Amino acid sequence: MVERMGRDGQDTIIATRNLSRTYIMGKMQVTALNRVTLDIRRGEFAAIMGKSGSGKSTLLHQLGLLDTPTEGEIVIDGVEISGLSEAARTRFRLEKFGYVFQEYAILPEMTALENVYLPAMALGLSQGECIRNGMDALEKVGLTGRADHRPREMSGGEQQRVAIARALINNPKILFADEPTANLDSVSSRQILELFRALNRDTGQTILMVTHELEDADIVDRVIWLADGEVVVREG
Amino acid sequence: MTSTRTELKVSAFLAYKFIAKGNRGTSALTILIMALAFVNLMFTTSVFDGMGDATETQVIDTLYSNIVIEPADGELYIENPDSVVKKIINVPGVIGTSAQYVTGATIAYEEQSGAWSIRAVDPADERTVSTVPDMMIEGEYLSRSDTREIIIGKEIAGGHGGSLEHTSLGGVVVGDTVEVTFANGVKREYRVKGIFDTNFIQSNQLAYVTEKEMESVLGIHDMASQILVKTDTKGEEDRFLNQFVELGVHEDIKPWIVYAGIIATLTQSFDALNALTGAIGFFVAGVTIFIVIYVSTVSKRRQIGILRAIGIKESIIVRSYIFQAVFYAVCGCIAGLVIMFAILVPYFIKHPMVFPMGDVTLLIEQKAAITRSAGLIISAAIAGFLPSWRAVRETILDAIWGD
Ligand SMILES: Nc1ncnc2c1ncn2[C@@H]1O[C@H](COP(=O)(O)OP(=O)(O)O)[C@@H](O)[C@H]1O
Ligand SMILES: [Mg+2]
Repeated sequence: MVERMGRDGQDTIIATRNLSRTYIMGKMQVTALNRVTLDIRRGEFAAIMGKSGSGKSTLLHQLGLLDTPTEGEIVIDGVEISGLSEAARTRFRLEKFGYVFQEYAILPEMTALENVYLPAMALGLSQGECIRNGMDALEKVGLTGRADHRPREMSGGEQQRVAIARALINNPKILFADEPTANLDSVSSRQILELFRALNRDTGQTILMVTHELEDADIVDRVIWLADGEVVVREG
Repeated sequence: MTSTRTELKVSAFLAYKFIAKGNRGTSALTILIMALAFVNLMFTTSVFDGMGDATETQVIDTLYSNIVIEPADGELYIENPDSVVKKIINVPGVIGTSAQYVTGATIAYEEQSGAWSIRAVDPADERTVSTVPDMMIEGEYLSRSDTREIIIGKEIAGGHGGSLEHTSLGGVVVGDTVEVTFANGVKREYRVKGIFDTNFIQSNQLAYVTEKEMESVLGIHDMASQILVKTDTKGEEDRFLNQFVELGVHEDIKPWIVYAGIIATLTQSFDALNALTGAIGFFVAGVTIFIVIYVSTVSKRRQIGILRAIGIKESIIVRSYIFQAVFYAVCGCIAGLVIMFAILVPYFIKHPMVFPMGDVTLLIEQKAAITRSAGLIISAAIAGFLPSWRAVRETILDAIWGD
């Protein structure tokens, strides 16, 4: 199955085939994704781009196991996803994925370090390991000095970097990011993108990022263009 | 796979952070309401337990002592009570005995008269089993050689602020002469030597004469209608009963509790009231917790969605809310107990409630406190479960991006 779907090489980490997602709204059907077939290679930094409403988030949600496709197949790291139970999907996300959302989405009651190590704790790591890995992750995003700060004491860019550190804590196979810079000023945005670029270059982190900023295209390895829920060769 | 221990640890961590770093005002208010719900749950029970306790103490101290030995079936008197007393007096824990005659009599004073029970005692013995000798509000207690002298309770005397003024003798004082007609027809005049008040409506309707006097009235000697036995502990009456039987006491032996029918009557009438206030208390506590947790899950809707998205199991999230609810309930119970012990109990010791069984203060029974706390904690756990369970039912995408 993996071989069949991995069309351009053995090191495919995500492969989809005819992936569709249809929303039913009353009597209307909205096809947010229409028969998408694509591969993402291990170690790739890929951007999903397209106009608003073109299905970028929907695609990311299917690949990130946050939603269930109406039709089609997804194979991630050799695992056929449709065969997984809800509990196994949750476990899969904890162990193999990292997420960065548009909203900073960190818990206001916890310090930066605690926010970062929560997923490690859920994985069963000891307090010592949690703190050590958490500090390592904070170092990757350049925030070791902010470890004991609560979110309200940090800027938006810093909070987003905490969210990135949290996404990295369990050494994910894939880092998903949905418009991670949309709420940030241009300086912070630049920092985040460069951070992604460095992570990908230095550690081979696979990153799949939704963005609508055209200039982001220059920084990534590859752009997957979407239009009306379909992969297109090039947006005009 | 994730162990249960890990899950509990994460749940506890989340709960701890939400409480410790969340809104202090909300936490304080929640705990206060839980404390008031707990006090509400405990109060009627404590009053009732206090009434029961006061009644027990009164029945033992002023009416029947701990154990009553009565004539065997078919007999009117215990013959040679001294021989019975000899058998039991050396049993460890027995600290006093009083053999006494009991008879019905009509007591008359001027135009008033009524039927009461008269006990005839050896005053020295009586002091070992009863507190009545210490409860004189007027005059003195009996002496061994007194004849034609009587001690009466304030409900017989009247005019001393009793509850049964209408059936009393209407205001007898020490030195007055009353006429007593015994059940066997003997009629004698007695000087009232003293009036006592035990605070207990039942023992205040007794009259006492000396053993010597009663034997001359009844024309018998060396007999007793009952022997009261005082023990140094309460609640071990059955053990003493068995020991007495083994020592050859053939008479009818009964613990004080069989005479305390009033307590059973009280229990029944208060059970319904107790159940009602209990139900209201649990409901108030449950609804409070439900609202607090509900508001928290609604305001954290997106964060809950994010937690689930990054791989935190629903059960961990639900349990973290149950932990919070249980924490509030436990704190509420502790705060409630503090309110009870630090404020209410001392208040009622200073200002006791006056009931026919005497002054009543709050009695916080361990069993009542434990069952009420457990009930409160369980209703809180359920009230914490429902909204958080509801919150993790919706899809992750709805939770994060829904409206
Ligand atoms: N929950 C939903 N219910 C109905 N329609 C939806 C829902 N989510 C997305 N859509 C529709 O699917 C299409 C793609 O949405 P989305 O993937 O969010 O686009 P993008 O992220 O590219 O802006 C849009 O037409 C949107 O209105
Ligand atoms: Mg989008």
